[in-house]
Amino acid sequence: MTETFRGRTLVQGEATGEAVMSARAFTFAHGVEPSSGLVTDIRSDVRGANVRGKVLLYPHGKGSTTASSWFLETVREGNHPVAIVTSSVDLSAVIGSVMAKLLYGRTIPVVSGVSPGNSIKSGMRLSVGGEDATVTVLE
Amino acid sequence: MPPTAFKTILGRNSRLHLTAKEEKALGGEEGEARRFAMEIATKVGDAVGAESLVPIKSAHVLAHYSSLHEAGIEVLEKFAGSGGKFAVPTTVDPASIDLENWQSFGVPEDYARQQFRLCEAYAKLGGIQCWTCVQYQVCNFPKQGEDVAWAESSSVVFANSVIGCRSNKITAGMDIACAILGLTPEFGMLIDENRGAKVAYRAAFGTPTDLDYRSLGYFIGKNSGSRVPALEGLPRSVTSDDLKHLGAAAASAGPVTMIHYVGVTPGSGTLAEASKGEKVEVIDVTRKELEGVEADLNQTDDAPDLVALGVPHLSVNELGSLAKLLSGKKLRKGISLYAYTSSQAYEMASRTGISADIEGAGGRMTHSTDAEISPLKKLGFNTVLTNSAKLAEIVSSEGEVRLRYAPLAKIVEEVTD
Repeated sequence: MTETFRGRTLVQGEATGEAVMSARAFTFAHGVEPSSGLVTDIRSDVRGANVRGKVLLYPHGKGSTTASSWFLETVREGNHPVAIVTSSVDLSAVIGSVMAKLLYGRTIPVVSGVSPGNSIKSGMRLSVGGEDATVTVLE
Repeated sequence: MPPTAFKTILGRNSRLHLTAKEEKALGGEEGEARRFAMEIATKVGDAVGAESLVPIKSAHVLAHYSSLHEAGIEVLEKFAGSGGKFAVPTTVDPASIDLENWQSFGVPEDYARQQFRLCEAYAKLGGIQCWTCVQYQVCNFPKQGEDVAWAESSSVVFANSVIGCRSNKITAGMDIACAILGLTPEFGMLIDENRGAKVAYRAAFGTPTDLDYRSLGYFIGKNSGSRVPALEGLPRSVTSDDLKHLGAAAASAGPVTMIHYVGVTPGSGTLAEASKGEKVEVIDVTRKELEGVEADLNQTDDAPDLVALGVPHLSVNELGSLAKLLSGKKLRKGISLYAYTSSQAYEMASRTGISADIEGAGGRMTHSTDAEISPLKKLGFNTVLTNSAKLAEIVSSEGEVRLRYAPLAKIVEEVTD
């Protein structure tokens, strides 16, 4: 059975990748190492995971307004997630993605309004994006 | 007719409406810097469902190397190099180094060089040279009801909750764009309906210490999610410095941008006013919850090699209280004590004799930088002792140095003879 979640597209695009699924507040600021994509935040439930090439899901952001620049540096280094999916709007994800397109020509779709609960687990393959802002579990 | 710049960039389904002047800026008629700023502002505005851009009274932006990295230098230099000028009074957060005395703090030269590139770009854009995260105590004074576009999460909470002006948490990149345009997308906390409290907390633990205010803030930030919180039961003795630290702790732990301090926040004299008449859940915060936060933020029992006070910057009053605590005491060998402050408070502390007491005890004041954005590991520190919940949260995110969290009186007792 294919499970699909519908949200709201904040930044357009399409991507496919493995899920890194956090159930806690998430930040790139001081929490993701741009030179590797590794999640370092000791308060994160996905500490030790790598966001590079992944679909990153979390409920909402936290902390510093520098999160967008940490995200952007991760893009500059080529270690960024391919898509970001949140429950409530995280402005730093939106701004980081908009800047990623303008500066480095990378399209990183951002979708909000998705609260998958336990239905999505880290490691599952997901497809994200398109006109109707869906997140689909592929396997 | 050729498509407008607006439709080319945003597509036909956008809800955002631009004025003729804004269209011109987006089309490049007002120069490349304003075009780029407008492209960022409209794309972000469109993403968050804004219908218009609104004028702002001031901006507060970020220009520290530790968080902006190489990409952030590219952004600032792109704006500065294409003739960008801030359209409204614009202040700036601390740098990653003490801009005057960085060499004496052991900052590597190549690191300083990157920070100075950001300083140069910021100066070129016409920013006010304040380098502080407490701009609202120093040089940026909006009044109730005004719209501003501020970065620095702690200052956004202060703006919305204490001053009663309106700001979203404007993040890096967008901050410069808003400052150059003098405009920000109208959404989130700029809209009255979104400002009502959806959850409430009651301080139920007696007279708070310095640490209690911070732990309380952290608890609120961690447990509110994206709901706007209200807080009842603050003592009348609460100071604006206490609220500065409370709000900073809350913002560090979650997405909080405003706390209705019942009896303090303009328009929130009662909980019913704060929640706009809606019935909301009230959560008691007792000593037990505060101790839970302390346990969460404390990561080590090791002896500290640095006591870091600030985050956000200490006011001259707080420096004065610290001087009193340190007066006649001596810092133990092998421990540094840095009090992080604005250059303005630094100057006043020097003139008032406050710095003499701090330095006499072996401590140092440092200005225009702050602990959470300075390269602590590169400066040789491994274990930090602080009463700042925000510093504790951020330092543990990076995982480079270990942290202990304690009230100021206990800190001074432990590290001095």
